[in-house]
Amino acid sequence: MASDSPLWPLLSEAPTAEDLARCVHCGLCLSSCPTYIVTGLEVESPRGRIHMAKLVNEGRSELTPAIQQHWELCLQCRACEAVCPSGVPYGRIQEHARAQLDHAAPKQRGQRRVRKFLLRNVIARPRVLAAAMAPARWYANSFARRLARRSGLLRGRLGAMESQLPRNVGRPYRPANTASPSAAATDETSSGVLFTGCVMGELFGNVHRATERVYARAGIDLRATPGQGCCGALHAHDGDLEFARKLARKNIAALETTTGPIVVNSAGCGAAMKEYGDLLSGDPKWASRAAAFAVRVKDSSELLNDFPGGSFEGRVAYQDACHLAHAQRIREQPRTLLGTLAGCSLVETPGADVCCGAAGIYSLVQSEMSGVLRQRKADQFAAARPDVVVTANPGCHLQYEAAVRQAGIPARVMHLMEVLDEAASSNSQQQD
Amino acid sequence: MPTRREVVAALAEAVGPANVMWRPEDLAVYEFDGTIERSTPHAVALPANAAETAAVVRACNRLGVPVTPRGAGTGLSGGSVPARRGVVISTARMRSILEIDPVDRIAIVEPGVPNLDLSKAAAPYGLFYAPDPSSQQACTIGGNVAENAGGPHCLALGVTQNHVLGIEVVTASGELTWLGGRVPDALGFDLRGAFIGSEGTLGIATKVIVRLVPSPASVITLLAVFDSVQQASETVSAIISAGMIPAAMEMMDRLCLQAAEAGFQCGYPPDAGAVLLVELDGLPDIIDGQAATVRAECLERGAKEVRLASGQREREMLWKGRKGAIPALGRLAPNYYILDGVVPRSKLVEVMETVSTVSERFDIPIANVFHAGDGNLHPLVLFDERTPGAKSRVLEAGGEIMRACVDAGGALSGEHGIGAEKRMFMPWLYNETDIENMARLRTVFGNTGDFNPCKLLPTGTGCGEMAHQAAAIAAAGPDAYV
Ligand SMILES: Cc1cc2nc3c(=O)[nH]c(=O)nc-3n(C[C@H](O)[C@H](O)[C@H](O)COP(=O)(O)OP(=O)(O)OC[C@H]3O[C@@H](n4cnc5c(N)ncnc54)[C@H](O)[C@@H]3O)c2cc1C
Ligand code: SF4
Ligand code: SF4
Repeated sequence: MASDSPLWPLLSEAPTAEDLARCVHCGLCLSSCPTYIVTGLEVESPRGRIHMAKLVNEGRSELTPAIQQHWELCLQCRACEAVCPSGVPYGRIQEHARAQLDHAAPKQRGQRRVRKFLLRNVIARPRVLAAAMAPARWYANSFARRLARRSGLLRGRLGAMESQLPRNVGRPYRPANTASPSAAATDETSSGVLFTGCVMGELFGNVHRATERVYARAGIDLRATPGQGCCGALHAHDGDLEFARKLARKNIAALETTTGPIVVNSAGCGAAMKEYGDLLSGDPKWASRAAAFAVRVKDSSELLNDFPGGSFEGRVAYQDACHLAHAQRIREQPRTLLGTLAGCSLVETPGADVCCGAAGIYSLVQSEMSGVLRQRKADQFAAARPDVVVTANPGCHLQYEAAVRQAGIPARVMHLMEVLDEAASSNSQQQD
Repeated sequence: MPTRREVVAALAEAVGPANVMWRPEDLAVYEFDGTIERSTPHAVALPANAAETAAVVRACNRLGVPVTPRGAGTGLSGGSVPARRGVVISTARMRSILEIDPVDRIAIVEPGVPNLDLSKAAAPYGLFYAPDPSSQQACTIGGNVAENAGGPHCLALGVTQNHVLGIEVVTASGELTWLGGRVPDALGFDLRGAFIGSEGTLGIATKVIVRLVPSPASVITLLAVFDSVQQASETVSAIISAGMIPAAMEMMDRLCLQAAEAGFQCGYPPDAGAVLLVELDGLPDIIDGQAATVRAECLERGAKEVRLASGQREREMLWKGRKGAIPALGRLAPNYYILDGVVPRSKLVEVMETVSTVSERFDIPIANVFHAGDGNLHPLVLFDERTPGAKSRVLEAGGEIMRACVDAGGALSGEHGIGAEKRMFMPWLYNETDIENMARLRTVFGNTGDFNPCKLLPTGTGCGEMAHQAAAIAAAGPDAYV
């Protein structure tokens, strides 16, 4: 069987031998990997998944259905990457592994094709997405939802999806909707761009508005410059690197003429955009533009040193979004911000930085493992009984809505920016 | 030899089909541990408890298939690599902490519990599990027992042997038995003691009763920066001679510092020749005085700087770098061959010099990070296994270093075990009778040579796949060293 030459279906997008050789198979990442924690199988561990890529790269194995299955069960949460002493770029390896599946999956090609079509033609197209989300938005706030809940119709996968919908979906927030940039704010320290994304803008318009207000209080004027769109993270994670690059180029073109930071309140988007330089490194025309863009990208928790604070009563459980803690290595800032709020008592739940199982489209395509991880969160919440669960990513937000319901506690799920916004406004009311 | 189909069927009967792996690409993931040894098993079984473990062992014995126990596969001597293929028994489904008794200060755990998880679970009671291998976030208590694992903080508190009271074992013959128990037992043969460090050759631990110790009242961590490994080595003996045993005393050389700093930004001076990381714990008044002595000793021997970690966070960062230093070397080279020699502290300077001469002569970089207080060296020979001939040269260089340790009156392994890698060196330390006696002990537990074969003892046949140590032996000098 061994042929010595790589057996990748799409050599041009293959994980590189150099990236793979970084793994010295020490095994230290095992205990951080959610799928290994759940299954105890090394085939569902980071070291195992890397080794499978090595097998294909060394011509020791074809890309088999078993390998596909193990890679697809990976959440791409990158907890392994964050703990790896050797600096193995696991996220990149896995994206290129997925690119192989995207090109020639040994099984479930039909399902993959449908998914690719939806990701390209719904998620990445603002108008189509808006139309697709409209019923969900109507339903989330409706009487029909209460009826449906009581009817017992919401079982199985449908029920799982339903329970993820937020309790209150605000007006959408789209770049074109916003007023033109305020004339006063033009210098780099006092203004920036708000990145609006795809699903974020449709289902979490409230979070965008909260972010604007919080940044205004910190003295930074954010504008949602038109022309920007989906960041491409979901596409890259699914192996559609070609399309992810296309979306990256679109965002770069739209925003590179602006100045100041590009503020992102969705951890997944932020992580992807901070890596645009890497994504486009093979494209001579765009590589340097992408690198210049990437350094401007900031998570919304990163620039709030001047946020005046406020008060927020209650027990708050902050849950690390994987792509914030593991991909962007941001753990302290959100906790510090919450810690400054009067009345806010932070409760650290065990496994706060272990993936909740949302993981982009993972909760839909790997609903079983996703459900196990959601249940673990629910158990933690039931034990810790927080008043508020705080997160920084839309997918996690939806997953926590469901987990809180599963836990049977009345906790609210909020984005960090919503908490800060509420805290600050309660403060200004008191001062009035 | 039975067919794979027969083996898999028998295993499935013992643990259920979902808990048996047999596809080649799945098995390949179990072909290594943290070393450069490789060998793919015929099948992997994951029992859920002692009874299932016993059933697996008996099935394998019946079919005449070799067995290799496996924890997290972080081992550094090839111990869980299935030398003669056969069946790997993974403890990864036995991961419950069954009991923590804060009054008796013991815990009962299943073998697959990661070391650090136990300390985390004991923390609310003000207790922790003392042996803290640098791999503690992942390595299992079962693997620790099998290797008699140590760690930075074992200098004052002792290694696994000192902290395990009882072990429930499925012996190599498939019988379930307890060795030791909840309380220390001084009567009769200490079979518990014999099992600890037996490297998975006597049986499989299925429950472990460990001692927990109180967290220290206060801690001081110092980082002393030196120009050379020699200065740092001299300081180690000086500190001990000054009449104290620090909680931990670790050394890192320049290569390790650079790799760890790149990995963790932990605040190491990357241009230093070596650092000593010294930790003192106990009552605040006492350790303040000790810290002053340590500082003075360091400065006297040429330390450029002695830094006191200012808070919990800085302390954690200093330790994070140390604990990740070995795999961080993956940043400098795709492979490393790690040695584990022990030398008397008085010979530290001399042996470290030999290490650097070997590195020069072979023209291969060798990094050093080790438990200096115990004289437990970890020279890491860096290489790229894809370069033709590299592996055999590296093993040769390793052999010379091992020889130097033994010549200095030391031992082949401080904590990683003999495993597959160093068993050929055993005759340097033990004569035929010694080795024969050890082999006899194995048979008492029912090991007829098929239970974790080709490990620990230099006897056994059919170990060809992992026999590249032979080359190193040939190079490092002839015959037995007794
Ligand atoms: C980065 C790094 C740093 C390390 N630092 C240290 C250190 O500071 N100190 C130290 O001592 N070690 C250290 N090690 C080595 C290793 O982590 C230890 O030897 C550890 O005890 C192995 O545990 P494991 O669960 O990974 O066992 P494995 O590697 O899976 O197995 C090790 C041996 O134990 C046997 N075994 C496993 N489980 C059982 C069981 N339940 N019953 C019987 N036998 C069993 C196996 O057959 C094998 O022989 C380090 C390793 C790495 C990668
Ligand atoms: S990915 Fe990193 S932590 Fe995991 S086995 Fe490889 S080198 Fe070790
Ligand atoms: S990305 Fe997450 S799920 Fe995937 S291997 Fe790493 S830790 Fe495991």
